[in-house]
Amino acid sequence: MSEEREFVPKIVYFMCSWCGTGGAETAAAHHLRYPENVIPSRVNCTGALPAVHVIRPLIEGADGVVISGCHPGDCHYDDGNFRARRRVALVKSLLDTLGLEPERVWFRYVAHGEGRRFVDTAAEFNDHITRLGPNPLKTRSDT
Amino acid sequence: MSDNGIVLAAEDGVEAAFIGWLKETLNKNIFDALLIPVGTPAGDSFAYLLLQEPAILDSASPLPPVMPVQGGKAIGRLTMRENPSKRIAAVVRPCEARAAIELSKLEQAHLDNVCLITLDCPGVLPLADYLVDPVAGAARFKEASAQWDRSPMRPTCQVCDHFSLRQAPGCDLHVGTLGCPDGTAVVVAGSSKGDHVLEQMDMGGQDEDEQADFLNTAVTDWGTQVEQVEEAQTERRRQAQEDLREEIAGAEKLLGVFSSCINCHNCQRVCPVCYCRQCYFESAALKLPAENYLARAERKGALRFSPDTLLFHIGRASHMALSCVSCGACEDACPMDIPVGQVFSLLGDRAQKALGYVAGTSLEDPLPLVSYEMDELHEVEQPYVEVYPNQEVQDA
Repeated sequence: MSEEREFVPKIVYFMCSWCGTGGAETAAAHHLRYPENVIPSRVNCTGALPAVHVIRPLIEGADGVVISGCHPGDCHYDDGNFRARRRVALVKSLLDTLGLEPERVWFRYVAHGEGRRFVDTAAEFNDHITRLGPNPLKTRSDT
Repeated sequence: MSDNGIVLAAEDGVEAAFIGWLKETLNKNIFDALLIPVGTPAGDSFAYLLLQEPAILDSASPLPPVMPVQGGKAIGRLTMRENPSKRIAAVVRPCEARAAIELSKLEQAHLDNVCLITLDCPGVLPLADYLVDPVAGAARFKEASAQWDRSPMRPTCQVCDHFSLRQAPGCDLHVGTLGCPDGTAVVVAGSSKGDHVLEQMDMGGQDEDEQADFLNTAVTDWGTQVEQVEEAQTERRRQAQEDLREEIAGAEKLLGVFSSCINCHNCQRVCPVCYCRQCYFESAALKLPAENYLARAERKGALRFSPDTLLFHIGRASHMALSCVSCGACEDACPMDIPVGQVFSLLGDRAQKALGYVAGTSLEDPLPLVSYEMDELHEVEQPYVEVYPNQEVQDA
């Protein structure tokens, strides 16, 4: 065992209540595992997820934020995922301009039946953030 | 833009000629009221006046040396609840007109009965510089603007690339002075509303062919000059934004920029496109129990008070960057000299570019966050692969 404490990222996973959480349910039914440091958070629709709720965790302690909604054309509210895509583009643009690593935000569609895809996304994002290292803002007291 | 237009000329300067023309619009009942900057009685500042008495126009100042109140905010305040029953002409700078257009799209202003009249803008002085000595400030502004020298102006004005009708095509009427001989200016229409005003003002009777030739030459000269200046300004802006990004990018530098912020929220209060009745960043959502702050302090080692400074600035950008018109009012209002105007204008430019939008240039383009295309922005969708590179390493 190494002396250094291994970096375990803190990850917030926003998922919509129709497809994203459905994917999580399917994963549970199939007993698929995903990393325990990924914190799932349900929102009614990714189109209703304010940009501030993505920015705030990144300042206050999360190392990455991943967002999953329905596939294009499948949105329960018709167009929430298209709106979400625009908002994610906005957040990524702001983070990129300020040099705050836009790659800490991921947006990937997960359908209700795609349990495998849900756990794969959680695991892949976890590995991606682990490689990226800790978010510099989370230890800053002067935010 | 239509072919309709007029040439203003007066021995005592363009400003006098323009004010004379405005007076006539009131006398001819083309407009019932004007919203125009007028020097305050104390003589140390300027304010928008909603005036109906033509005589008061004599003290008006269509291009004041400072921008204490963003004109878009004034128009929003006037027309937020409904379309006014009378016809109002608002004499504003291009960035102020663009803010008014954004507000109208956000349903915070009603422009049906408002005619936006803009002027070629040389910029404005930083409010703080001007207030040190208003008389000297006014003289400095006059001298610099006569030569289109932007060096004493605010940093956002120095790199403004939306200073004329060409870059703010949503305006109804525009007074072009760039490239015009001293003492003359062209008035051109940017919309059918403006066209209509010019038609009503057309006195006729004179030699129309000769007049049209004269006008065409003046408009062409003006257009060429505007294009030239725009080219130079675009390059200056690009360079300045590149330098600024170098200075602020990254957690360390960014927190350095905002380290002197005193959380007064002045930048939000004066912002023309920050219209929320209850600002999220002043709401109960960010007034939390002590336990919350203690937990955050434990996690971070310490927590700065007031907290959430960076959240306020980035979060506010997420609310207004797509409508930001780079007017620089926020920077004027910052008591701590933080370059907020430059930072927001950089964020705004890049976010608007990412979503294919330019704030305030058209009443028809839908706001980017309330519209979408099915086939766009695929670069933000994270592609799914069954086996991603790192996974093989772990499985082995």
